[in-house]
Amino acid sequence: MIKVVFFTLLALIFFYIIWVNNVFAPHETYEMPMQYKKIVEDERYVKEGKQLFEQNCQACHSVRYDAVYPSAVQANPNLKALQEQYGKVLPKDVYESTFYTELSQLKESLGKVPPDLSTMYIARGKEYLFNFILEPQKVIPGTSMPPVMAGRPEDTAKIISYLRSVSEPPPSEKAKRTLMGIVTIAYLIIMGILLWVWRGKILKRMGLH
Amino acid sequence: MEASRRDFMGLAIGGLGVVGVVGVLYPIIKTLAPSAASLAGAKVEVDISQIPEGNVRVVSWKGKPVFVVHLPANFQWNGTTKEDKNRKLLEGHNAYALIAVCTHLGCIPLWKPQGEAEYKYPVFHCPCHGGIYSPWGDNIAGPPPMPLHIPPQNLQGNKLVIGEPGFIKEQT
Amino acid sequence: MLGRIGRWIDERAHISGLWQSQMVDYKVPKNLTFPYAFGIMALVAFAIQIISGIFLTMYYQPNVHTAFDSVNYTIMKEVPFMWLIRQVHAAGANFFLAIVYLHIFTGIYYNAYKKPRELTWIVGFFIYFVLLMTALSGYLLPWGQLSYWGMVVTTEIPTAIPGALGETISVWMKGGYELGQITLGRFFGLHIWLLPLILLGLVGFHLYLVRAAGISNPEGVEIDKKKEGVPFHPYITLKEGAYVMGYLAVFFFFVFFYMHHFLPPDNFEPANPFKTPPHIAPEWYLLGFYTIFRSIPSKFLGFIAFNLVLLLLLLLPFLDFSPYRSARRRPLFFVMYIVLIISAMALTILGTMPPTPTNAMLGLVFTAGLFSFFLSLPIISIVEWGWYKARGGDKT
Repeated sequence: MIKVVFFTLLALIFFYIIWVNNVFAPHETYEMPMQYKKIVEDERYVKEGKQLFEQNCQACHSVRYDAVYPSAVQANPNLKALQEQYGKVLPKDVYESTFYTELSQLKESLGKVPPDLSTMYIARGKEYLFNFILEPQKVIPGTSMPPVMAGRPEDTAKIISYLRSVSEPPPSEKAKRTLMGIVTIAYLIIMGILLWVWRGKILKRMGLH
Repeated sequence: MEASRRDFMGLAIGGLGVVGVVGVLYPIIKTLAPSAASLAGAKVEVDISQIPEGNVRVVSWKGKPVFVVHLPANFQWNGTTKEDKNRKLLEGHNAYALIAVCTHLGCIPLWKPQGEAEYKYPVFHCPCHGGIYSPWGDNIAGPPPMPLHIPPQNLQGNKLVIGEPGFIKEQT
Repeated sequence: MLGRIGRWIDERAHISGLWQSQMVDYKVPKNLTFPYAFGIMALVAFAIQIISGIFLTMYYQPNVHTAFDSVNYTIMKEVPFMWLIRQVHAAGANFFLAIVYLHIFTGIYYNAYKKPRELTWIVGFFIYFVLLMTALSGYLLPWGQLSYWGMVVTTEIPTAIPGALGETISVWMKGGYELGQITLGRFFGLHIWLLPLILLGLVGFHLYLVRAAGISNPEGVEIDKKKEGVPFHPYITLKEGAYVMGYLAVFFFFVFFYMHHFLPPDNFEPANPFKTPPHIAPEWYLLGFYTIFRSIPSKFLGFIAFNLVLLLLLLLPFLDFSPYRSARRRPLFFVMYIVLIISAMALTILGTMPPTPTNAMLGLVFTAGLFSFFLSLPIISIVEWGWYKARGGDKT
């Protein structure tokens, strides 16, 4: 019995450490006041967030999964034809070769083409993005990202809310997925219990238990 | 009593098992359904004012090529056709869409506003086997057995919306 | 009606006889413990990977420009329910390997590699090896930062072999001097069908061998099947069926509610050949080997070391020639087994930590622990042969 408990605990602790919370390898955490976290999570700020994005970020950044492109690219008449041909998300090589001139100009003035932000919310998380957008030099010293949102934490949170809406499914879909998960797990647990009980009955009948 | 209880349990588990299988199959089969993006492509808008009169533009609708025909205001056409089903449906409209797939073997016909061979008036001419259609898609000569198909379409001012039921409700 | 169809099939395929002989008349020991179910769980995990993988190949594009978007847009956002299939596949790969590791360590504990099951063990080893290659090749496909740089690190490891040979192997793996379309294309082909096909064959052979040699006993003594055995169905089938339901419940909990480790955020950044991510290391299932490699100051010796571990694992049935079976009956073996699993776990966890001098030293300590298990086996065997002879050949 002791052995069973020992080995079970060992396995559980091991997988907890490597899959859930590795207490030995902490990663950097960033601070973000609760009021701004709430703005990010709030679906109602997404529309305003997108407008703020267009005003402050679209000069340099694209959000390809939302068909948002840097202003110079947006002004290029070829964009519409490409979108008709390829649909919402242009293939990356087609995008980069058609708008080579515009993207090269961005590269020349900033040192590199500013990254596409479609998945940036998942890649970095809201706390990192909040700190980086407000004070780029503090998070990545020497970055060419200018402090466009300096002193505007609330607007920054709204922009992050927009980025969140591009990366994550809408709340209604999220609720559906949660429900799916609960139903699936409940079903499996019930099936497991039923199988166990049924087996018990059959074995008793066979005189084997 | 014991036997029926055991059978009931077995039946219950079997039933739940079937439910489980259906539950697994449902999302898998749903992945084959059209995505939101392709459903959005089921309607195509064309600005008629961008097409010069007497010209035909080819657009893509639901994966098929479609002629958008813009006829001049007092368009006269006195050729003979084998059928006039399309003309009856489209007469009076100077902007409409036709599915640009030849009803013979599927090639895309060409718009010949100056006419073709002995046909001295605007026609569609299919280069593959010589089929000839009127500007409304009615078959005139050659192998095509029937007129070009007409997609559902609606005219809103200068915008022709292909795929939305309007003056043509269903695809012919 | 169903019965008549069943009978029609059976008159031609004779499967009811198969069911009777393989499921009902087949007798197994009564005392099989919970870990004996890891085998069937691994089979279920394998089936899940195949089915989810088949649907992923319909939408994934093995092209360096479109791979990332095909996964993160087409699969995750566009095609209905494909987000679920992708999450099942990503979590499933990790669960598959976790179960395989648990299965391996179970087999070691009960000495299930001893005669007549050495061949079963050997085939199992190759399943493990091919599975590692399958997982490695699969992880490259999303073409995120971790996918790309993880493979850069992996293809750098052969350069530990001195001279032109190491360099050549590395270049041959990549199909060039850097990771590119050629690399992605070939790993895609390997991952979706050649390696799974090989796995299917190996697993089939492995299952046949398990049946042919008979299932081992936790006590290490073979039972008299006729007198003490219980019919496989329903004793084991329903028991392990219930265990599989429990496994799936845990699995789907992660799939729906905790994908954080299986879809690491850093991999949501598209691969950038000019920017290495701050934390880059292999996935957890290879971290133990990575720590061994990293801890030994000489790159070449480190390379030899972790390959040696694999070799020793393969040769386990021949290293341990004691007449006694099962850790339950072998206190010396039990102690070394604890050393083994503690070392393996510690090496894995150390791999997640930065390579400080302290960690390197700890890495060496636990590498020694790992090796000590294998090297102790012949010694323990000799000691236990002595006890065996002294007791007049009594295996209990």
